Amino acid sequence: MQTIAIASTLLRKVLPTCTFLALLFGSSPASAALGGDASSIGTGQTHLLASARIQRAATHVMHELQAPTGTKVREYLGNDGKVFAVSWQGPFRPDLRQLLGAYYDTYIQAAKGRVARGPVNIELPGLVVHMSGHQRAFYGRAYLVDRVPQGLSTDEIR
Amino acid sequence: MRRAGVACTYAALVGVACSSSSSSGSSGLSPNVIALPADNVAEVSVDYGLPNIGYLNGLFATVTVCVPGSTSECQTIDHVLVDTGSSGLLLLGSVLTLSLPALTDDKGATLAECTQLISGSLWGPLRSADFSIANEQAKNLAIEVVEESTYPMPTSCTGTNYGDPNDLGANGILGVRTSLQDCGPPCSAAVGRGSENPGIYYACSSVATDGCQPTAVSLAQQLSNPVAFFSQDNNGTIIELPAIPEEGAPSVLGSLVFGIGTRDNNGLGQATVIPIDLGAMFTTKYPTNGNAVTAFIDSGSNATYFLDSGTTHIPTCFSAKYPEVSAFYCPTSTQNLTARILDYTGQVGLNVNFGVANALNLSQYNFAFDDLAGPSGAPSSGTGFPSSYFDWGLPFFFGRNVFTPIEGEVTTGHAGPFVAF
Repeated sequence: MQTIAIASTLLRKVLPTCTFLALLFGSSPASAALGGDASSIGTGQTHLLASARIQRAATHVMHELQAPTGTKVREYLGNDGKVFAVSWQGPFRPDLRQLLGAYYDTYIQAAKGRVARGPVNIELPGLVVHMSGHQRAFYGRAYLVDRVPQGLSTDEIR
Repeated sequence: MRRAGVACTYAALVGVACSSSSSSGSSGLSPNVIALPADNVAEVSVDYGLPNIGYLNGLFATVTVCVPGSTSECQTIDHVLVDTGSSGLLLLGSVLTLSLPALTDDKGATLAECTQLISGSLWGPLRSADFSIANEQAKNLAIEVVEESTYPMPTSCTGTNYGDPNDLGANGILGVRTSLQDCGPPCSAAVGRGSENPGIYYACSSVATDGCQPTAVSLAQQLSNPVAFFSQDNNGTIIELPAIPEEGAPSVLGSLVFGIGTRDNNGLGQATVIPIDLGAMFTTKYPTNGNAVTAFIDSGSNATYFLDSGTTHIPTCFSAKYPEVSAFYCPTSTQNLTARILDYTGQVGLNVNFGVANALNLSQYNFAFDDLAGPSGAPSSGTGFPSSYFDWGLPFFFGRNVFTPIEGEVTTGHAGPFVAF
């Protein structure tokens, strides 16, 4: 599989000290999205084909994907196997439609009435979205309030 | 009307009582010298903004674009947001009446861009124009005309669509950032699996949905800081705004000066030079002995956005009717704070005073405030991304001359990218 060859090369170059490495790429068109399943992680993310690592904690599993563009995306999975949070950082913003999945439209609606011209801090009854930065340096995170595992501080979702 | 805009929102929130505090702004500092009109000086304003929309702390310029080579087919467009956080000129297609030639790839397909802002995008075709401001001109400049009328926004162009003037609050953006292009070499790389190309430039072969597909564009065709294409005064800009009273001002006039050290009106003088990294970042500590947070200066951000309530112990605003006011801080009385700005290596530093007003007590008659502030996010720790940028927005510019040199240009003996003030 061609993807694995590319990923393997970059894994060696970029991530020498990871606790645990894994390849997370498939060919199904499903997308890894907030609220989605673990099985969909890394698939369909056309810009996220470079490398990945996994970090396990008692409360969750964090998958980090590094895109060739330099942007990193992290996905946090609860013990139920669902993505309860995503975050990103890098020179280009990832595809928010893919990352926020079913919550994308909710976010777009909530962002409509903003009076701030700067970072986004949207806190809805169930969904929190933060975004900051400027051109060539973006950061963001989104999480599902009710699905953040007990014992995990939302400050740790970065 | 769905949304009366920032000004009306605030008028409604503030009610009739306005703060009548008469305290003078910053004390002990000599006022900054604002350049007088000259060939390289454009007047800029912080004012109400577009009629019926309104804008708090928007820095606006008036620009002229012409059909390339023509001196008669021209249009002057006001209320273009001056943004040191982005590179390139973008104009709303709903405002532009000129017919400008499209930029095309070698197959004749029209080039377009999904320009990324923090939380959304501006979509539209690239076109060529002769651009002028003050007495400076950039011929055959690549600009983005923000519109979906010809090519629909691709599904891969995500986030808030700022193509609506009600959402952008301006007729366009004049991006005068430190980096020359808005993307740079990554967007010149071939697209495809494993490519570093982020896919924000598109070639449009059809007007059907997703008839535009990501493509590689040369550096010359990318949206770029227009100042770099002037025949003179082309190495950067200075934004010069006067200090304003604590209660704000209904409108403020200042100067956008072109060139740094190219004339007797644009020298660096005694300004403090802060080296920046490739992302135009330095660091800031608040309090001055606190942890260093990645920081930037951005005239396109309308407030000082920093840390969060948990760190600053300043509450954010709350309104059941206007939940979006939680984007700002609401201390019981205006806080006068001090932060320490350091270059990205932590070598050069100086203390900077700034104010944090109660955003719900702002005068409904004013649109320029040097003490509008809001949260950016909790500082990250451990392995977290550097998630809490200290965003020195427009309040930082009042009472200062802020220098934004363009990368790779020679400016008065300073090597490497920097900002200065």
